[in-house]
Amino acid sequence: MIRYITRRLIQVIPTVFIIYTIVFMLAYAMPGDPIKVVLGEEVNRLSQEQLQAMRENLGIDRPFHEQYLDFLGDMMRFDLGRSFIQREDVIDIIGYRLPRTLQLMLGGMTVALIIGIPAGVISAIKQYTWIDHALMVFALVGLSMPVFWQGLVAQLLLSSNTTGIAIFPVAGYGDGNPYYMILPSLVLGTNLSAIIARVARSAMLEVAGQDYINTARAKGLKGRTVLIRHHLRNAIIPVLTVVGLQVAGLMTGALVTETIFNWPGLGRAIVPAILQRDTPVIMGILLLGAFVYLIVNLITDIMYAVLDPRIRYG
Amino acid sequence: MTSPTSNQVAVLSADDGLTEPITMRRRFIRAFASNRVAVFGLIIVTIIIFAAAFAEVIAPHDPNKISAMNRLVAPNSEYLLGTDEFGRDILSRLIHGARISMLIAFIAQSVAITIGISLGLISGWFGGIVDDIIMRITDAVFAIPGLMFLIVWVAIIDQAQIGLFSALEGIGLSTRHVSIFFALGLIGWASDARMMRSQVLTIKEREYVIAAKATGATNIQIMVRHLLPNAIAPSIVLASLGVAGAILSESTLSFLGLGVEIPNASWGTMVDQGRNFFTNAWWYAIFPGATIMITVLGFNFVGDGLRDALDPRLLK
Repeated sequence: MIRYITRRLIQVIPTVFIIYTIVFMLAYAMPGDPIKVVLGEEVNRLSQEQLQAMRENLGIDRPFHEQYLDFLGDMMRFDLGRSFIQREDVIDIIGYRLPRTLQLMLGGMTVALIIGIPAGVISAIKQYTWIDHALMVFALVGLSMPVFWQGLVAQLLLSSNTTGIAIFPVAGYGDGNPYYMILPSLVLGTNLSAIIARVARSAMLEVAGQDYINTARAKGLKGRTVLIRHHLRNAIIPVLTVVGLQVAGLMTGALVTETIFNWPGLGRAIVPAILQRDTPVIMGILLLGAFVYLIVNLITDIMYAVLDPRIRYG
Repeated sequence: MTSPTSNQVAVLSADDGLTEPITMRRRFIRAFASNRVAVFGLIIVTIIIFAAAFAEVIAPHDPNKISAMNRLVAPNSEYLLGTDEFGRDILSRLIHGARISMLIAFIAQSVAITIGISLGLISGWFGGIVDDIIMRITDAVFAIPGLMFLIVWVAIIDQAQIGLFSALEGIGLSTRHVSIFFALGLIGWASDARMMRSQVLTIKEREYVIAAKATGATNIQIMVRHLLPNAIAPSIVLASLGVAGAILSESTLSFLGLGVEIPNASWGTMVDQGRNFFTNAWWYAIFPGATIMITVLGFNFVGDGLRDALDPRLLK
């Protein structure tokens, strides 16, 4: 067990370096001069020496490899630098935005699990009946809807009295009022629930043919006990893996959902940062997104190993 | 638990076997054709590709013709899906927009699958340190949030003059288009690579591969002649699903204002613009969004159908 976890942790190290390199090269290649963006017209009134001094101050005049190593060193100490534009440390900007994005992702994930798992289980139990076919076609429809469009339709139908019924607020964070979270979570969770339903169905069918299900039935356990304790419990592992893999997709979805619902998360911070060439903020958010994904997948893999001994010794 | 589908395939194949040898391809086509949902998907995809190819002939109006008299007209017999704020026909703009969406999706997917298959083949065949390096890069690409990468990428390419990209402007594509093809390709190859690698791992110890090696075939010959044809089938499924994903990504980018430039019609851009007139002209944002959904659904139906038809458990 310990050996498996160690091996898995060692594997992550090169991946982290590759991610850092890709993200750094992207940020380095960003055209435009942040100084000009900050100063606007003022830039013409300053002398070349003054501009050069400002560049030195921000550290953007040095060669590629120096910046690369410097930033890497800072990163190791969890110092993400300071925003060029806002007078704030990147870590503070992220500290404010990340919990809100995670909150939205958690909401979406909850919706996805609540809809996806029962749909997949019912589909598997009723395999090849009309219920199964209807649920699976429905899941594909859910998978095919663009998130931004779903958001608009949801707003049209559920938060306006002229075009539907105003049950939920149109947009905004509402100072943390959970009521404001419902609509964005529903929109964000739809795609994932469709994916989960499909995986849960095939996992349930896979397990259905196993001997231990027959044994459990044969020894006279109730149908529901077999379903939950033996059938679902064994089918849940592949579902967990998929949930882990989908975190990146969920984050992308959160970015779009935040735009539509005016949610103060990371997605709403990165777009202006790009327009203003605020490199530290861009790098910070991109790296963070990647790390959230890596960590979630690491946890999933370790959980997988705990639940299934075959992985550990494989 | 036997499925009706597998019974059907078995019966068809048995009949067939009396007259002529059953090839894998024939079984595959039969299995696909007997799947109603997949065929329905294929019909949707065909219609969209047809619309993209013959947009000038099919579109009832000029997609860019501005008419102050007909601003935001609700759907009627003249303008089937209504008009936008410049009085342009939405249906015609959607038909012309199909061209951009299809082009971007297909080229992006070709880029992705070429990179993915090549790296997957190399990774699976050579193994060892090569495999480790390629797989760690694949992990990294999986981890970087795709849409954020795309947004940064578009910002870079927009202002940088890259020779290769501007060279393609001659055939009517803007630098923005070409940069989106490549970016979607660059973030999309990772799953193709993983799939290809795992396929290669399952067949690399087969007799025909060992025989090829024993007769002195080079690594390239083995990869291209022996591994590729035998490992490619699942990649076709991924390609079909990948086109669906590329359409969604392109439309999301356009929706965020970073995709295809105005005045060219792109489905995502139309949803974004229609959003401003949402309460008094619902059709403006709803129909383009529905078009995206139906197209993506078509490709997903086809992808699922292909996967079921290729499933060896159904082909027994």
